[in-house]
Amino acid sequence: MTLVPIPGRAPSARFLILNGIFQENPVFRLALSLCPAVAVTTTVINGLILGVAVLAVQVLSSCTVALTHRWIHPKVRIPIFTIIIAVWVSAIDMTLAAFLPSLYAQVGLYVKLIVAFAIIISRLEVFASRNPLVPAFWDGLGMGLGFLIALVVIGAFRELLGNGSIAGFALVPFKPLLFFALPAGGFFAIALLMAFFNLVERKFTGKSAAGVQTGGSHAA
Amino acid sequence: MSGPVNPTPTARGNAAEVLRIAGSMTVACAIGAVVLGGVYVGTERYATAARATREREAVTQLLSLNAGSSVREISQYLDRAHSQVIYRQAGENGAAATRLVYAFDGTLVTRATVPVANEEPRAFEAMGRIFVATRDGRPGGFVVEGQSRGYKNVIRFFVALDSSFSIAGVRVVEHEEDPGLGAETATPWFQGQFIGRSPEQAAALDVTRDPMPEDWRGALAKLERRSLAEWRQEHAALIARESGNPIHAVTGATISSRALTDGVRTTVDHFRRRWALIAPQLGGPS
Repeated sequence: MTLVPIPGRAPSARFLILNGIFQENPVFRLALSLCPAVAVTTTVINGLILGVAVLAVQVLSSCTVALTHRWIHPKVRIPIFTIIIAVWVSAIDMTLAAFLPSLYAQVGLYVKLIVAFAIIISRLEVFASRNPLVPAFWDGLGMGLGFLIALVVIGAFRELLGNGSIAGFALVPFKPLLFFALPAGGFFAIALLMAFFNLVERKFTGKSAAGVQTGGSHAA
Repeated sequence: MSGPVNPTPTARGNAAEVLRIAGSMTVACAIGAVVLGGVYVGTERYATAARATREREAVTQLLSLNAGSSVREISQYLDRAHSQVIYRQAGENGAAATRLVYAFDGTLVTRATVPVANEEPRAFEAMGRIFVATRDGRPGGFVVEGQSRGYKNVIRFFVALDSSFSIAGVRVVEHEEDPGLGAETATPWFQGQFIGRSPEQAAALDVTRDPMPEDWRGALAKLERRSLAEWRQEHAALIARESGNPIHAVTGATISSRALTDGVRTTVDHFRRRWALIAPQLGGPS
């Protein structure tokens, strides 16, 4: 279920933000960008840092595409979207390295990965290239927030079970289930949280989420 | 490709379409290149300065240097034919640099004073730098740059040695190991395990997967919130007890742990042999 833009009436900012966080949450609903989500969410802090970086790249790329899509040749839109994302990622990478070196020392590993995130390019294709600037901005913000929240939740879950700590503060002096800190455990963690997400949604809306599973075919 | 001999209107249309696509891509790439070039030119100066600042900070912290200290920097290179080793010591306050050339058997080939602007050729392989500290006119220890092949990519690190060549600290300055696993080797608690090892103990460095004793783990966890000197004083007995034991690997990251440990061992070993050669040639306290 992808969001179909309503001709003549742009969706409201509130709707677009909540859509990104709940109905079309990139990780728990669209199942996009699972590989990087697994790779970096071994701790809460890692998830938070990557989430913020993705949020920035998503908003900037969505706005760029919304402003320029009328000049982009439709047959090469995907490569051009990729170039736009790569330019923003590289620009953020270089700026962080120059002006926030201590932060860069921690996040430099992740920032470069964002180029390959399926969630960003899929929002450009599905939404930003078909909508004006303002809704594209809110959609980018909503999707970025949805991704950020998902990464923080997965990070908290894995850090607690894998390392027995939260945000670096040890709660128990041993590692309860190291399995969850390892890559394979990351997929199980996401699956468990996705099931929990479905359960909560069914409780509140009475609807089954089975009908809205889309986008699982995107690999990265 | 076999196209029709006489281009039909459709084929001409296709050609125009291909040109438009190529034009669209070219323009997009050109704009991207200009933007990135601009960002690079705008940030490079600050990025280089930031890197140099972080390295200076690392050297200062590792050797607990104070205001009365000075640091000389020696760069090591391997020549293009891999038959000579070149050491280059920058002069103080922009003075001329000292350049030593050694053959592989350790004989001095040339010793010369060269202008600072006269840089080594790009084809020469950089082999890391040596920072020689002087504290209040006396030897203040060394920081040696080393690298090792990690789980994913090269791990670049600094090893600090006091003037009797015992390890004063280890600091990973660049790596691409996995967050939460191999990247743990770049944390104070892991690097703290190297502190206080004598030259003989450093030469025998090894890795174990046995669990770390609880008291030692607790002491290392405090390293992040203390100055190095205070921490060493506070836990002197524990450090002395553990310095003969192997390094405890990060759980789930034995390869990264071993990479750093082996790298530290060989870096210290190479440095000691090279320093014995070059120290008398470079002057100053050795």
